[in-house]
Amino acid sequence: MSKRKKINKKKRPIAVIVIAIAIVVLFSIRLFQFFRPLIIEHIFQSGITGPLIAGWKLTGIGSALISSASYLILSVTGIVTLIGFLRLRRWSWVLLMAWTGISLVISLVDYFYSHANYVVMTSNIIIAFALNITDVQRMFGIRRDDGSSL
Amino acid sequence: MAPVSDRPDISVNASDLELLRKFEPVVCYTKGEQFFPTDVDHYVKECSLWEHHPDGHDEILVKQGDLNLDKLVESRSAEFGSVRYLRFVENLSLTETAQVLADQVLLRIKLGKYFHAGIGRLARGGILPRLLDGLFSLSFLLRGKVSTATAAAAELDYNAILEEDPKYTYYGRVTRQNDWTIVQYWFFFSFNSWRSGFHGVNDHESDWEMITIYLYEQNGQLIPEWTAYASHDFKGDDLRRRWDDDEELQKEDGSHPIIFAGAGSHSSYFRRGEYQAGVTLPLPDWFSGLIRIWNKVWTDTLGQPAIESLHIPFVDFARGDGLCIGPNTSQDWTPVIVDESTPWISQYRGLWGLFARDPISGENAPAGPMYNRDGSPRGTWFDPLGFAGLDKIAPPPQTLEMLETNCKEVSLRQDELNKLILTKADDLQEMGTRLKGMEGNPHLSKLYSALEKVINTLSVEVHNLRREVLENTAILQSLMQRIEATRAGKKDDPHAHIHHLVKPDDLGKTLRFDRAAETWAAVSLSFLLIAVAALLFFAPGFTWTGLVIILMLFVVAESILRGAFVQTVGRLTLILAMVASIIMFIHFWKWILVGALVIMGVSLMVNRLRELTG
Repeated sequence: MSKRKKINKKKRPIAVIVIAIAIVVLFSIRLFQFFRPLIIEHIFQSGITGPLIAGWKLTGIGSALISSASYLILSVTGIVTLIGFLRLRRWSWVLLMAWTGISLVISLVDYFYSHANYVVMTSNIIIAFALNITDVQRMFGIRRDDGSSL
Repeated sequence: MAPVSDRPDISVNASDLELLRKFEPVVCYTKGEQFFPTDVDHYVKECSLWEHHPDGHDEILVKQGDLNLDKLVESRSAEFGSVRYLRFVENLSLTETAQVLADQVLLRIKLGKYFHAGIGRLARGGILPRLLDGLFSLSFLLRGKVSTATAAAAELDYNAILEEDPKYTYYGRVTRQNDWTIVQYWFFFSFNSWRSGFHGVNDHESDWEMITIYLYEQNGQLIPEWTAYASHDFKGDDLRRRWDDDEELQKEDGSHPIIFAGAGSHSSYFRRGEYQAGVTLPLPDWFSGLIRIWNKVWTDTLGQPAIESLHIPFVDFARGDGLCIGPNTSQDWTPVIVDESTPWISQYRGLWGLFARDPISGENAPAGPMYNRDGSPRGTWFDPLGFAGLDKIAPPPQTLEMLETNCKEVSLRQDELNKLILTKADDLQEMGTRLKGMEGNPHLSKLYSALEKVINTLSVEVHNLRREVLENTAILQSLMQRIEATRAGKKDDPHAHIHHLVKPDDLGKTLRFDRAAETWAAVSLSFLLIAVAALLFFAPGFTWTGLVIILMLFVVAESILRGAFVQTVGRLTLILAMVASIIMFIHFWKWILVGALVIMGVSLMVNRLRELTG
């Protein structure tokens, strides 16, 4: 019985493992990026001490909270995607591709306007190209066996 | 109008008129069509004749009211670079413009000629074609174009002609080439209102359309085998359909092909429906080169669909739900026979309507059936077989004879080859033996080298002859199979010769949310421009990034409506990953190179060690 179970089990291609590792790396970095502005602005020690918006512009605390919140969303999405991804769900491929796309936009904006995070960029590049591999797409039901898109 | 598979026939002794009448088509137009096939006589009488000179000025040769077909073909010399043209609608003043536009509305109300585009072309193309379409519309500011008032005046004038003499004319021509009897039906329209009436590519005064039927002779009868309709974007083999192809070629009473004409464009289609016709933008060589490089990476490496050209989609509405003309319909044809001896066919080389000075010619009127716009001979007239790719096809009764002749020729060549091989192979062996005998004698070295050369040449020759025998055997087998199939009366797949089978749009498949997609198509370009304006005003420091992000959001929104969200998100992310890769390479190319070399070295070492140990 246990032998049959083993035969029926889908074998994950190496690309899936690589993607999973990249997601974990990204999740850790995004989690760090979530905490960083909150620590710099001492929000954990003192709470929200000032206004979030002054005039039409965000204050330091305001922008720290917004960037923390966006990184938190990215982290949570990343972990949800990872679970679905390891279970080879179609929706997780779509979500991960969208997540990687958004993450790449943020990385490129960071690169052009402030400080580049090359580790994040590299992880995203690996994920994007790995998700495009035909075998991976077939495994997640994105591509048909003849190579055409579903 | 049920399809009939039996072949109609007509005696070879039938007159041209009888032949034309026997197979004359039924043409079905789209509801809302404003112009139908008319006669050139009436049209020319309503026109003035002009000459456009190379220095840019236009000269009137014959004024409106004085012109007729005889005057049209009178000999007139002209300088190089000049363009002779007719003018159906004269220049209109502001008051006249307002008057004709108002009269056009009243006429349409009176005749009940309404056209509803439904899910228009903008909803069928993506955001990029819509952007290109915006640029295409703007290009009319630089190019010459036929005004809306001209289109309205032409519609009023044509209706006046139709009211005075209500008839629908075709110009029939019968010619014979390479054992084919070719019957052409030419249709003349006083205006092409595709752009102004049906959101199409162009408007121009006058329009010539044509269909051809190809017949072969058997037992004293002429039998139709192929039909070809002139159509946008297609040429050669793709234009023709076999007479027994009931799926593609609909017929009335088994003898009359049914044509579905594009609204305003009058282009001919085999099946009713709405067709994507497109304008391909001319690209400079360097840009095409960039696209090739892009496709190399995008398609060959990443497995994504290739970019072939930048293309603005237009819809040709060939619904066939309007007026039908031809046998067993409410309207009959008035046939007129023409050939090279018809003066206005062969002697008038000018344009049959306004020369709008459009450098890409879309808005300039066409020339007549026998000539192109530049006065050169028109292929459809002098080479009707080549026009439909039929120049390489023999009529069915000749096919078997030709196959048998072919077979005989190849068999004879085989006999000849076998004899040659035998002689040459013997010679080769003889020379080889002599060469062997010369070995070990240094004083014969010169003769040895010369003989060696001759042997090598002969060896190649024998090798090629043997190859030819083998190839001919395969050809013979294939010819024999074909002969057997032909004798048994087996026909090829009727679509086998078609490279691109034009099909009407499947609207249900293209769009998920019809109404939402249509609305989005109508407003998205404006929203995009407003978003860009807002970006420039509120965040000028982020212009380029913001522009890219806005474009991406629009593309994603579009993809949801088109049911292509998954593919679109995948492609956008890949593009971003490629941009990021280039950035990484610029910054870390040394490290990447070092890493690649180390990986290659290690992998090579592992392979070699495996070989040693294992």
